[in-house]
Amino acid sequence: MNGRPRILIIDDEEVVLDACTEILGDRDYVLATATDGRAGLDRLGEVRPDLVFVDLKMPGLSGFEVLEQLRTVDPSIVTVVITGYATLSSAVEAMQKGAYDFLPKPFTPDEFRVITARSLEKRRLQQEAVRLRRERDLLREQFASIVSHELKAPLSAVQQHLMLLTHELAGTLHEAQQARLERLQGRIADLLALIATWGRAISTDMEGLRASFAPVEIQAVVGKALDSVGVLAARKDITVEPSLPQALPPVAGDAGTLAEALVNLLSNAIKYSHPGSHVVLTAEAAVNRVSISVQDFGVGIPADELPLISDGLARGAPGTAGERGSGLGLALTRRIVEAHGGTLTVESAAGRGSTFTIALPARPLGPADPAGERVEEQRRVGAR
Amino acid sequence: MSTAKRLLIVDDDPDFVDGIRAILEGAGYAVDAAFNPRDGFDALQSRPYDLLLLDILMGRGAEGVMFARKMRKDARLREVPVLIITGLREQIAFLFPGEPLHPHLVPVDELLEKPVEPQLLLEKVAALLSASERRKAAGA
Repeated sequence: MNGRPRILIIDDEEVVLDACTEILGDRDYVLATATDGRAGLDRLGEVRPDLVFVDLKMPGLSGFEVLEQLRTVDPSIVTVVITGYATLSSAVEAMQKGAYDFLPKPFTPDEFRVITARSLEKRRLQQEAVRLRRERDLLREQFASIVSHELKAPLSAVQQHLMLLTHELAGTLHEAQQARLERLQGRIADLLALIATWGRAISTDMEGLRASFAPVEIQAVVGKALDSVGVLAARKDITVEPSLPQALPPVAGDAGTLAEALVNLLSNAIKYSHPGSHVVLTAEAAVNRVSISVQDFGVGIPADELPLISDGLARGAPGTAGERGSGLGLALTRRIVEAHGGTLTVESAAGRGSTFTIALPARPLGPADPAGERVEEQRRVGAR
Repeated sequence: MSTAKRLLIVDDDPDFVDGIRAILEGAGYAVDAAFNPRDGFDALQSRPYDLLLLDILMGRGAEGVMFARKMRKDARLREVPVLIITGLREQIAFLFPGEPLHPHLVPVDELLEKPVEPQLLLEKVAALLSASERRKAAGA
């Protein structure tokens, strides 16, 4: 609200309008009045109110109709209904229709002042929320490009030159020098990966993601994820064994981020596996669910760390080859899976390995699908 | 081939340009560089190039995308193979090695992510050049 708050009072009783104007005064507020609903609505453009008081019982356009129209004109305007005792139940109804509060007649000047102050505070918070949301979206959009250019670009250039040096000096370095160059490159690669994950964790708009959901074939997602971790697995001599049935129902989702979630789980599994061992990826269909598990036989997670790990709150221990993680991979994976209406669960035993499972709702085959409806019903009953 | 293949790098990061220029020159290519899209386009029009290495995020935004689109509208420049080298991957989508940047965004021949392994860069450049040779031979 810039300047004095603007208040419109709509009531067919002149005496009420006069009293209200008298109580609030025009020092702190810009006040406008109207004696019927139509006239009140006509003044909206000129008054641009932050707050509107509406008498529910008026000749002509009723208070309810005024409320309705106010909502279509500008749902951010805060509305308070004025009622006689006899219409208290309709006040409740008005609030259900979006009025912020009600003021029973007769009211004292203090009651009127308090409800005005409270309603304007509501308006202020609402506008603040809108502003913050807009700011958040803007920051999120800008963040990705800032991260990319200001942090990633210089690091990439450093890495490029290290690679060039390694390339140019090939055959002339002794083993320790070679190892040093490799360690430099390794640490910078970790840092670049961290920046990428960090940027994505913040910039990915999970709510926006849902708008672009399409049928996704799990087999394709698994194939992409396997390709993506191929080098990582080969480096540690780890075999990734996929076990997929011939047919799987599609899920509604975003193929890119689902593959990313799977890549995160596979990368973790490889990281915590002992060199030369294997990782098993299993996909299977259950009733209305498709689940994808990634099992490793590596270091496992101690029982006391398990809750933190699965909440994405803890940063895991270094991998078996000293790989470091940001602790963001699992948090991002969980957000992706949850945006898909799925769950991410983990079972683990220290020293024996871990199994992470993504369970996703299978795409309903259509509104006539009886199995789908039944499950939906059970879920809702359970929720009550 | 008696004369070296001539490549153009368009990228606004001089450090990065130096890094890949040295790799390419070490392999016997003649390499020119432009540090902004405008100079890059002037260079492309001033003499024939066998391959373009293009950055996506330059200046105020994804100017590399506009650059590639503009090239594709030019009958002569359309034939020049384009290798995108970008740090952009995570921002547009989660793309996978060997996949085009974004099929709807820009028609390019190949994409590599910064930083790029020298050996991989040389392989991709050689592959694009020989594919372009074959296209020319077939068209002639």
